[in-house]
Amino acid sequence: MKFAIALFSAAHAPSSRRALLFAQAALAGGHEIVRLFFYQDGVYSAANSIVAPQDEQDIARQWREFVSQHQLDGVVCIAAALRRGVLNAEEATRYQRSAVNLEAPWALSGLGQLHDAAQAADRLICFGGP
Amino acid sequence: MSTLHVVSHSPFTDGRLASCLRVCGAKDAILLCGDGAYALHNPALHSQGVKVFVLAEDSQARNLPVPDWASSVDYSGFVQLSIDYDKVNTWL
Repeated sequence: MKFAIALFSAAHAPSSRRALLFAQAALAGGHEIVRLFFYQDGVYSAANSIVAPQDEQDIARQWREFVSQHQLDGVVCIAAALRRGVLNAEEATRYQRSAVNLEAPWALSGLGQLHDAAQAADRLICFGGP
Repeated sequence: MSTLHVVSHSPFTDGRLASCLRVCGAKDAILLCGDGAYALHNPALHSQGVKVFVLAEDSQARNLPVPDWASSVDYSGFVQLSIDYDKVNTWL
C-alpha cells in the first residue's frame, strides 16, 4: 500500500507525534510512503531551530532522523514556510535573512507536490489539530 | 465507498464530532485519538450505530475505560484501518 502523509501541525502538537508514529508503523508493516508533505504550521515540525525541553521528546529531531534513515521524500510547503520564517540557505539568501533553519533531508516545494502525492498514493492521511 | 473519520478534538470543546456524526454513512467508522478519546464518555456516539475505534495510548493516557461498543487499536491497527476503509478523513 502506498501512503501519502500530510502534516498540518507544529512539532509540539500531539498530532505531529501521532503522524510520526503512524509513518513508522506504516513502514514497519511493509508499506511505502510516497511523500511526506508538511503544510501550514506543519512547517515547524521540520525546522531545525526548535529546542525541545530536556524532559520532553524532540519530535522535530525524530522526524529529521526518520526521514533521513528511510530516505523519504520530505517536502515542506514553500509558501507556508516563508510566511513562518522557516528558510533554507537558498531562501535566506534570496530574501536577505540572517537565519537558516531548514536543511536536508527536507526540501522546500509547492502545493503541487501534495496533489501529486495524493494521485500517486493509495491513501492520503492528514494529521493536524491537537 | 467507506470512510474512516479521524477525530482528535474533544467533543466537549467543539462541534467537530457532532458534524462528523451528521455526515457519517452506514459503512463509515470513527477513530478517536488525542482528546477525541473523551467521546467514549458520550453515549450518543454508541446510539448512532457507527463503528467506533480509539487509539489505545490515548484512552490509556486519559484512564478512559473502553466500552464494549468501541474497539481499541494501536498504531499498526491504525494503519490497517486506513487500508480497510477507502478514504481517511481527518477532522483537523
